[in-house]
Amino acid sequence: MSLLSLQHIVKQYGTYVASDDVSFTIPKGKIFGMLGPNGAGKTTLIRMITRILYPDKGTILFDGEELSDKHTECIGYMPEERGLYKKMKVGEHLVYLGRLKGLTKSKAKENVQYWLGRFNIQSWENKTIEELSKGMSQKIQFIATVLHDPKLLILDEPFSGLDPINSKLIEDEIHELSNKGKTIIFSTHRMEQVEEICDDIVLVNKGRVILDGSVKELKHRFKENKFHILFNGEVNGAFLDKLNVIERSTGELTVKFEEEHKGNELLRLFVENNVEVHSFNEVLPTINDIFIRQVQLN
Amino acid sequence: MGKIWIIIQREYITRVRRKAFFITTLLAPLGFLLFMVSSVLISTYNRSTTHIAVVDESGLFKKFDISIPDESDGTLYFHIVDDKYEDVVSKMPKKKEEESKYQGILFISRDFDINNPQKSPIAFRFVKAPGMAKYQLISQRMNDAYQRLRMRMLNIDERQIDEMQRKITLNYDSLVNQNEKRGFTLAASAMGMLMGFAIYISLFFYGTMIMKGVQEEKSNRVVEILTSSVKPFQLLMGKILGVGTVGLTQFILWIVFIMLINVLVLPVLGMNMGDYSATGSGMSASDVDPDSMLEIVQGFKQLPFTQIALIFPLLFLGGFLLYGSLFAAVGAAMGEDGDQQSLMIPITVPIVVSILIAINVINNPDSSLAFWGSIIPFTSPVVLSARLPFLHDWKQIALSLTLLFAGFLFTAFIAGRIYRIGILMYGKKIKMKELLSWVFSKG
Repeated sequence: MSLLSLQHIVKQYGTYVASDDVSFTIPKGKIFGMLGPNGAGKTTLIRMITRILYPDKGTILFDGEELSDKHTECIGYMPEERGLYKKMKVGEHLVYLGRLKGLTKSKAKENVQYWLGRFNIQSWENKTIEELSKGMSQKIQFIATVLHDPKLLILDEPFSGLDPINSKLIEDEIHELSNKGKTIIFSTHRMEQVEEICDDIVLVNKGRVILDGSVKELKHRFKENKFHILFNGEVNGAFLDKLNVIERSTGELTVKFEEEHKGNELLRLFVENNVEVHSFNEVLPTINDIFIRQVQLN
Repeated sequence: MGKIWIIIQREYITRVRRKAFFITTLLAPLGFLLFMVSSVLISTYNRSTTHIAVVDESGLFKKFDISIPDESDGTLYFHIVDDKYEDVVSKMPKKKEEESKYQGILFISRDFDINNPQKSPIAFRFVKAPGMAKYQLISQRMNDAYQRLRMRMLNIDERQIDEMQRKITLNYDSLVNQNEKRGFTLAASAMGMLMGFAIYISLFFYGTMIMKGVQEEKSNRVVEILTSSVKPFQLLMGKILGVGTVGLTQFILWIVFIMLINVLVLPVLGMNMGDYSATGSGMSASDVDPDSMLEIVQGFKQLPFTQIALIFPLLFLGGFLLYGSLFAAVGAAMGEDGDQQSLMIPITVPIVVSILIAINVINNPDSSLAFWGSIIPFTSPVVLSARLPFLHDWKQIALSLTLLFAGFLFTAFIAGRIYRIGILMYGKKIKMKELLSWVFSKG
């Protein structure tokens, strides 16, 4: 079941096509990575999902209904370029943003207390935003995004400017929210985070979707039949000549196998030649590899 | 409307809580008091005394015993001297900084011909030039003396001359409004000008406040979060109405303070609003005799205060909304560092033009310029405010207000279109042509 479905979205600025017939689906309750190089059109897509912009053509469905203004209260958006009113106090700023997302004043206050408590930063409530460090205000931004308990969270580079401890804190919160059934769109350039965090991804370039699917499925789709074997002793059998060895060192081999062969066949070759194998892994491409390859191909 | 209300509250509360609000709210009436006190003090103490030596080599003035009267307030004296012109000149200072007995010489030469005065004209010679007003006074006094001399030469005696020169004062009555005396016109002019200027200044003051607010939201990127929660138009309206409410609050507080100053402080200093209004209407202190002062005070009491109280706030509101939305649009289109002041020109020019029209219509409140200035929404807030104490034409007022608020809908539409694109446009210098293309582009 999908929470969000983009169908043939087109958005143009003058003659520049920012989104060119974009279609993809975001499953409910999943963490969805939106990837693409700078200027690929990610921000335009996010702005259309958040109703900041409207598509020229195509349809966006939210939970089966055509996306409308009423859905903005079900969406929490943390933009990459973010900021807050410097002179406002943390507590009242969060209440203000919560009310703009449809919370009553008392509910907004209650939720602010909950989140300040959760991050153990109750003492910041009466500080002005300008008194906070960049990392501190980033946490406030995160709270502002989740305060109204949205069904869909859009996090654009949520870890930029955060130290490792605070990054971990936010990452844990993202998983926690996902476990509670929230759907999360995660836009980033840091591919290792995509592999760690995302269930599904879409890769956009020059306004078009160049691939999408689950991280697992994509890694398999772009695998190259590479295997990494650890063993004891020396391997001198003539069987090695049949293999395409990519890397070799003592007790270690990386080989590329013919596409039609299965891993079991490779393992059998080693066993039949009396090699004591103690580790045998298929080498899958990283999302970074796939990303770079696909963008270059495109 | 719910979200606009939340935005209005934030804009209002964060602004009125600032120290700057308290300071400007308190300082403006103090400034008003200071202005009034200093204007009276300046006019009292900024009086230089000028002594003029009259050297009459023709002997005509002496022969017919024509004197030139001194100024009653002690600022100008004429001394008919028997010395020769050269002797008087030799006693005059050589440099502007030096002091001397006389500051100027009126020289009537031996060749002066009463029937052809331009042949050998009477000369006024000085070391340090007197001001324009004093020059005109000297010239006028000399002309009077010349007239008197001519009449005396025609054998008209002094008593007859005085009889001939007797002056009258016109009675000033309106056929439709018996309250409309001379004092009323003076009081209405002063009140009109005061209101016109108040709107003129507040359009700039609060307009800039809106513009800076929009720029702040754009440069610190909070607008990205806001526009994902509310429509840009709601944000725009919330800001304009929020700042407008701040402006109204400040206006009301100022009026209360000024009333308090007028009732409690000025009587202690021996002044009242009438004094200020007379000088404020462009009259010099010497033009206002004590009877006129009383007339003006009476005139003030007859101003149509109900009409003013009803219409003036609407003009402030309409003008503020109309220009406020344009200021917001410019704030959104400007770069994050607030450059591109040139984008403000299309807004500032009509405001400046409207005050120029207002100054003109104070003297001609029923001219066609006054009519059109009051009808066109871009000038009507200032111009109609200036005419408001004179105007009894409710149809014209209604037309003006209708067009003003329709004008606001028009500028709000244009501003909304520029605003929604401008606030999300970073790092690009916007040209006027581009702004226009945004107005016609889709969302």
